[in-house]
Amino acid sequence: MQDSNFVRILKADVVVVGGGAAGCYAALKLKRRGIEPLIVCKGWVGKSGASIFAGNLVLSGNLLGNTDAEARNTAEFLIRYHNQFLIDQHWARRCGKWIEQVYYPELEEAGLYFRRDDVGNIVTSPGKIRSVAANVQGNSGVPFMDLRRKQVIKAGIQRLEETTVTALLQRADGSIGGVFGLDYLRGEYIVVHARAVVLATGYSDRLHFRSTGTREMSADGVAMAWRVGARMSNLEMQWWHTNDAAQPASWQRMQVYPNPMLGSEKSARMVNSWGEEFFNQQVDDPLAFGPYTVQLKALVKQVRAGKARYDGGYFAGFDHCTAAEVEAYTSYAKGYKQLGLRFPEDLLETAVTAHYRQGGVDVDNRSMRSSVPGLYVAGGLGGHSNGLIALATYDGEVVADGVAGDFDALSTTPPDSDRLQAEERRLEQLRVSKGDLTPTVIKETLRRIMWDHVGVEKDGAGLTKALEAIQRIKVELLPRLNISFEGRTANYEWLDAIDLVNMIEASELIVLSSLERTESRGPFMRGDFPDTDNEYWLAANVMIRTGNGCRFERRTYETPFIQPGFSSCKNLEVPW
Amino acid sequence: MKDTAHQVVPDFYRIEQATCGDGLKARNTAMREGDSIRVSIRRSAHQDEWSTCIVPYRKWMRVLDVLNYVAEFHAPDLAYRWFCGSKMCGSCAVRMNGREVLACWEAALPNMTIEPLRNLPVLRDLVVDRQPYEARVAAFEPWIERPSPYSGFPEPLTHREMKEASKALDCISCMACFSACPVIGLGSLTDFAGPAPLVQLAQTALDPRNDPAKVRAALEKSGIFNCVSCYKCEEVCPAAIPIVSRVIEPLKARAAQLVPEMARHAQTFRLVVATRGRIDPGELILRVQGLAVLKRIPRLLRMLVRRKVRPLRTVFGVKSAAASATRRILSSRGD
Repeated sequence: MQDSNFVRILKADVVVVGGGAAGCYAALKLKRRGIEPLIVCKGWVGKSGASIFAGNLVLSGNLLGNTDAEARNTAEFLIRYHNQFLIDQHWARRCGKWIEQVYYPELEEAGLYFRRDDVGNIVTSPGKIRSVAANVQGNSGVPFMDLRRKQVIKAGIQRLEETTVTALLQRADGSIGGVFGLDYLRGEYIVVHARAVVLATGYSDRLHFRSTGTREMSADGVAMAWRVGARMSNLEMQWWHTNDAAQPASWQRMQVYPNPMLGSEKSARMVNSWGEEFFNQQVDDPLAFGPYTVQLKALVKQVRAGKARYDGGYFAGFDHCTAAEVEAYTSYAKGYKQLGLRFPEDLLETAVTAHYRQGGVDVDNRSMRSSVPGLYVAGGLGGHSNGLIALATYDGEVVADGVAGDFDALSTTPPDSDRLQAEERRLEQLRVSKGDLTPTVIKETLRRIMWDHVGVEKDGAGLTKALEAIQRIKVELLPRLNISFEGRTANYEWLDAIDLVNMIEASELIVLSSLERTESRGPFMRGDFPDTDNEYWLAANVMIRTGNGCRFERRTYETPFIQPGFSSCKNLEVPW
Repeated sequence: MKDTAHQVVPDFYRIEQATCGDGLKARNTAMREGDSIRVSIRRSAHQDEWSTCIVPYRKWMRVLDVLNYVAEFHAPDLAYRWFCGSKMCGSCAVRMNGREVLACWEAALPNMTIEPLRNLPVLRDLVVDRQPYEARVAAFEPWIERPSPYSGFPEPLTHREMKEASKALDCISCMACFSACPVIGLGSLTDFAGPAPLVQLAQTALDPRNDPAKVRAALEKSGIFNCVSCYKCEEVCPAAIPIVSRVIEPLKARAAQLVPEMARHAQTFRLVVATRGRIDPGELILRVQGLAVLKRIPRLLRMLVRRKVRPLRTVFGVKSAAASATRRILSSRGD
């Protein structure tokens, strides 16, 4: 087969898939331990997906004069508001300690500039939970992740960018021994042999009509891990942004940040179509630092009262602040001004956007091993926490230790060559698809189905409809796929087709997982099961692949430090 | 003073105005829902091939929304790059009507031509190869090295000290400035690193924590004195970084201090202007090149013929009346 001319074979000790906070840190740490990593990134290392991390970093422990009460608030916020108790509290404690002792100094030593005032105090947001930002709140992600990119360059770590990993390559015994990828700019196939693979592809999947995930985020990590038999947990725990720009379409991930502002006692306010304020973090729930769930619940009540829609009809902004107050340490005014609005007088119409998965691939959080030998997971893709940047970075640390600990025992056998050829054939067939539907049309159909039936408010009937509709996409639409450009260079239609297959797979898993959790919890809202059920569902919803589909298991979470304090309650009445 | 010459505003002047607040309002309200946008996109399959189509306007439409529409309904094979759609990743810069814009940030206009960035090789359609930029940034080794060990979190540092560097930290490396820079457009005629790499350099070179020896080594590779201060880079920067005044000028000052030989031409220029009140090319050439000027006799003769250098004026030319004024201006700048 002449196609194999296009395959480039590389070797590394460990392949890291993903160039965000977790992937970069894992690679840096592995390199420091004398293990040679290679980063394969679908976008640009430290730039594409990861750079849209935009907000600020929560101060944990006793950093920068944090009191014991503030330290406890941070832990409580993480467990209660950000994970709705679906988190290993022992892990959370280890992570908090690491953030306090290692993370902040490591970042600053590497050169990160934590925003100071003119006399040298680090600027924080006041309130029950304090936070800081890299340079400017609102675009902290750029200097933050640029720093990681430069650390990777400095360390001399090999990186393949604008290269999508399309399959995890298994050895004859089922263990993972490398990856198959496509450098989609050059149209070249790439195979990397390694002892282990660290999957760190993030958590913001662009599966819904409105999604915060960036262009390249198509749930590849979930789909690929599932295909090799990895267990998943809590895939249904989908998070939402409640106040992203309703228009223009390309700004659907442009958020009016609800978090407390640096250097001010105020936060953005949200107003319904009647002009009534219905959410303001600093007023309504000072403990909900990233108040996404609290905000979402407030919106659900507005939608039910006919005063807002999930796709618009409500507004957010800073008309209760002065421009100087907002612009002192944040970049929040820029978007308003760019649309020709007056700042801070004008409010922006906002809408709900699917943000990220709280769950993901099930891992042993002491080593980040998945259930498949040779496959490790770090960051948002993991099912153990929700992947805030500091947490994701801690995963980078843990996974590097995990891989290093197992390193001598890991196989050096290359993956099975049959699987490699099968993957090449699959991609070639996709490239020459000759039907009548563009990949974009099918993608948008799927994202509509997810929005309509797997949106903020779900129920069994809608989820079942979604499953049927996804099935129809597989059986009826996918065979009609058309790729009009046959070339290999920068063929984004081809890339869309590859992504589409992953998106369909991941969507189906999310729907199945949603059907299984028969309760409502935080952002997961089922009309047919409106109560938060701590008796039965204070548990991981673990999904296991079987010969003909999947089965589920429950794994109960312990609550050693912080407890929910009730056994069952209407979710909309639960503060978190 | 009344300036009658500007009563008729030339077109280029209006373009400049469009970046002001009022202009942004006008741009965002010029079209109504459903109005037609006529867009022509340069394709790379054949020389001078353009895809032209009509796109219905949607509220607050960005250039990226127009490209997405074209790819969805007219030209599924269009190659264009974007990741975040929210002015963070810097991947979607293109030229719209001849000017560099960030597609996700710029308002769509009723008539648009869209072309790839200049000064970077085109891979296909609107997708360029960023390697030349990456290589320049990597050569700067853009990380800080402290002369003494890190003192622990938080280290002593004020925003006043970080002010210049913090402007550069807003850079999203979108390459708009790199495309707009006329000196980069000269190719290998100069060793100018270009605005985008210099902004990256400024992030660490203007950071007071960095070791001056490290900064010196990077500046030596910058070719910074080739910048002609035309402000094209600043004009197109979507992050509104004052690239000339807050990046290039401070870097030049740093270079003059750390690598004086790099600044020889600039310093001499300044000296000539300060003493004469105007530039004198003859004196400038003699002072900068010294006897080496004799190796370039043919060029010197051409310059004589074209009266670019005027030896009599250099030797006997009286001080211009502006000399004291220029000295005053130069000294008031604090250097």
